[in-house]
Amino acid sequence: MFDLFTDYTLRTVAMGAAILGIVSGVLGSFTVLRQQSLLGDAISHAALPGIVLAFLLTGSSEPLPLVLGAGIAGWIGTLCVRAIVRNTRIKNDGALGLVLSVFFGIGLMLLTYTQARPDASQAGLDKFLFGQAAALLQDDVVTMAVLGGIAIVAVTLFWKEFKLLSFDSEFGRSLGFRMGAVDILLTTLVVIAIVIGLRTVGVVLMSAMVVAPGAAARQWTDRLGVMVCLSAMFGALAGLTGALLSSTGARLPTGPMVVLSASVIVLLSLLFAPRRGLVWERLRSHRRTALRTEGARP
Amino acid sequence: MARAPARREAMEKTSAVEVMDLTVAYSDKPVLWDVDLSVPQGVLMAVVGPNGAGKTTLIKAMLDLVPISAGRVLIAGRPYDEQRRKVAYVPQRGSVDWDFPTTALDVVMMGRYGALGWIKRPGAREKQASMEALEKVGMAAFAHRQISQLSGGQQQRVFLARSLVQDADVYLMDEPFQGVDATTERAIVTLLQELRASGSTVIVVHHDLQTVAEYFDWVTLLNVRRIASGPTAEVFTEPNLRAAYGGRMAWLQTSEQEPVAD
Amino acid sequence: MGSLIRLAAAALLCAGVTACGPVQAGGGPDPQEIAGRKINVVATIGQVADVVDNIAGDRAELEGLMGPGIDPHLYRASEGDVVSLAEADIVFYNGLHLEAKMADVFEKMRGSVTTVAVTSEIDRNELLAPPEFEGAYDPHVWFDVSKWMSVTEVIRDALVELDPEHAAVYEDNADAYLAELEELDSYVEEQALRVPEDQRVVITAHDAFNYFGDAYDFEVRGLQGISTATETGTADLSSLADFIVEREIPSIFVETSVPQRFIEALREAVAARGFDVNIGGSIYSDAMGDAGTPEGTYIGMVRHNIDTIVAGLLEQPTGGES
Repeated sequence: MFDLFTDYTLRTVAMGAAILGIVSGVLGSFTVLRQQSLLGDAISHAALPGIVLAFLLTGSSEPLPLVLGAGIAGWIGTLCVRAIVRNTRIKNDGALGLVLSVFFGIGLMLLTYTQARPDASQAGLDKFLFGQAAALLQDDVVTMAVLGGIAIVAVTLFWKEFKLLSFDSEFGRSLGFRMGAVDILLTTLVVIAIVIGLRTVGVVLMSAMVVAPGAAARQWTDRLGVMVCLSAMFGALAGLTGALLSSTGARLPTGPMVVLSASVIVLLSLLFAPRRGLVWERLRSHRRTALRTEGARP
Repeated sequence: MARAPARREAMEKTSAVEVMDLTVAYSDKPVLWDVDLSVPQGVLMAVVGPNGAGKTTLIKAMLDLVPISAGRVLIAGRPYDEQRRKVAYVPQRGSVDWDFPTTALDVVMMGRYGALGWIKRPGAREKQASMEALEKVGMAAFAHRQISQLSGGQQQRVFLARSLVQDADVYLMDEPFQGVDATTERAIVTLLQELRASGSTVIVVHHDLQTVAEYFDWVTLLNVRRIASGPTAEVFTEPNLRAAYGGRMAWLQTSEQEPVAD
Repeated sequence: MGSLIRLAAAALLCAGVTACGPVQAGGGPDPQEIAGRKINVVATIGQVADVVDNIAGDRAELEGLMGPGIDPHLYRASEGDVVSLAEADIVFYNGLHLEAKMADVFEKMRGSVTTVAVTSEIDRNELLAPPEFEGAYDPHVWFDVSKWMSVTEVIRDALVELDPEHAAVYEDNADAYLAELEELDSYVEEQALRVPEDQRVVITAHDAFNYFGDAYDFEVRGLQGISTATETGTADLSSLADFIVEREIPSIFVETSVPQRFIEALREAVAARGFDVNIGGSIYSDAMGDAGTPEGTYIGMVRHNIDTIVAGLLEQPTGGES
């Protein structure tokens, strides 16, 4: 535990993981409330072809163009989902699943093709699948913090618009707000949140980080503001715990440990949260039956 | 433009809502066909018709929420875009997820978002106006209650309060009486009549033919086309109802006061 | 799912191709027939391909699957590769699970194409079996030149068996090449001795240099494990950083086939401890250099590596500022 402050590598990774947790927690709250949990999954899987194409086009193994490619591809993925829902009879979840698998398939195909190139291994494209947290540099953490900061500022600015979008989008339109634009803005912020986390947790597992903290937070409160803050905290906790755990043993991968921590938080929240938790519900119904039988006795 | 007295006169002559040649079609299937409607100011009007008649679509078309294939809508003589502030919308209760983490007061304050515009947060003034609206619908005690803990009738009242804070001239409501208890229904009717008395125009999509004559002074019968529209006493007649509902009516009571659908 | 489809495609192709070619049951093509044309040889890694090239020369139509900079631990065979493998007269691969993601393909090919694991003749007692690898051997044998001489012999013998008419050619070429390898082995030993004992530590991105360390008396540490498919944990990075500072090691080395970010992260970690370690240069681990350059050949690559390592380790360590 003390190592968190003294060990440079652990500190860097922990900070990166915490930032990732906070940002995905904040934005994940909204996707969970809008019942778009699969959106994070679709975006992160859709990012893969973007990463590979960015490498093929620029020949660079620097993270910036790759991450940019990831963002653009993820964003295009959401546009495709929108187009499919609008123009076909396929519903939102079907469209998300479709985009997820098609984009990911294209990404894998490109990945296999790319490995024949001599400079491919240098780019570490494979590492985007499950993340390579230990290779985070200070610069990376700074970039994550800046991007994450922008996203959070945007959420604070457009707080009431996002609330309106999530609760009663049609009413919002009737008031004159361009809900379509707000939707695109929110989705773009989700893409940013995912792109921040890709190098730490990887494409395959990132979706968990966009869903878990928000779902866990919902269990503990009925107020949106509290939920979003709680979600950010849970995300940060998962990040820190994951980083710490992976530092305790040799060859324990950071990305999966972060996701596991987040999952444990969700599980505990589902079970033990007051009022909404399953354990409490069970206790309450026991108490109720006990009272009832007692009342029935003469 | 014109001088004040003349303008007032002109306004009185202008309909609250004017619908002209309105057609709304989804992939070749018409939902509304060539509808003409002129709703005078200060009436409490019911829109009735069988399922699929296009009642909700009519409301949404007035609010520019669905794409219009032909025709147009004017609010107090001007296009809807220019008159947004004057129109309040109460959607169907089932159109939102009531498990959303928010309070009754918070929902009502959403009605003020339009006046606030982008980014600005609601403040004390908005909170006050919202509390007053909640009082008017008898929900002041529930202001800080989580909306999932409210009954159907209470939720409906919250929605109404939300429209009240908008300070509108025209109110468009989609089935506000659906699934509410008798007390709430009476309370809502009283409220609507108060709105009418103060000069607002209230248009309500209504499902219960039994209560049309009792609550509403104007009625529009709709079945993709406009069947009839006008004062209830004149328009809410057997022949018109038969024309609107076609073979859907099992039997009709011949009494003038209470025609009944199946 | 994808590999299942690839296997099906491979199986179908094998069946199709072998049905057409003049192949005897289980064995290779007819020696008379093969003497009259070039032999189709497919090799996986460049190091193996280079040896084949030196021994077979113009006799072979040689195709290497993994070119410069390719990581063999992660390489997945494409459809084109499977076709090449199916049409080959003989396939040479490293074995010992180096080409981990091609194992299924080789398995399927076994009945219809002659496949040779070039490391098969190396005495198992001489192979390193690190405990983390759970019973499997470390496959990076090419860094011990003497072991690569055994590989040369295996390739020579396989070619002779395949194409006995030209046995003399293969044997002569092999002899010449073995002599060059002997010379190389001595050169590496000589160079290694220039570095003082306590400075003989090679730190790289993954554990590819164990045989090098073993044969030429270097201590070797890698950030990742034997295979680049594993993920480094922060603990591994930290302990390695501590080690570098403790022993005051002047240089760490980047591998051409592994992303540089990891080594940079290591350097940052070391810098945070107040020590400045150089990145001593790029060395070849799993893959060789570009074709046409000296480092594109096995001998050139080994030379480059030892030269870079020695130069890096002979630098004065700088502690504190740049």
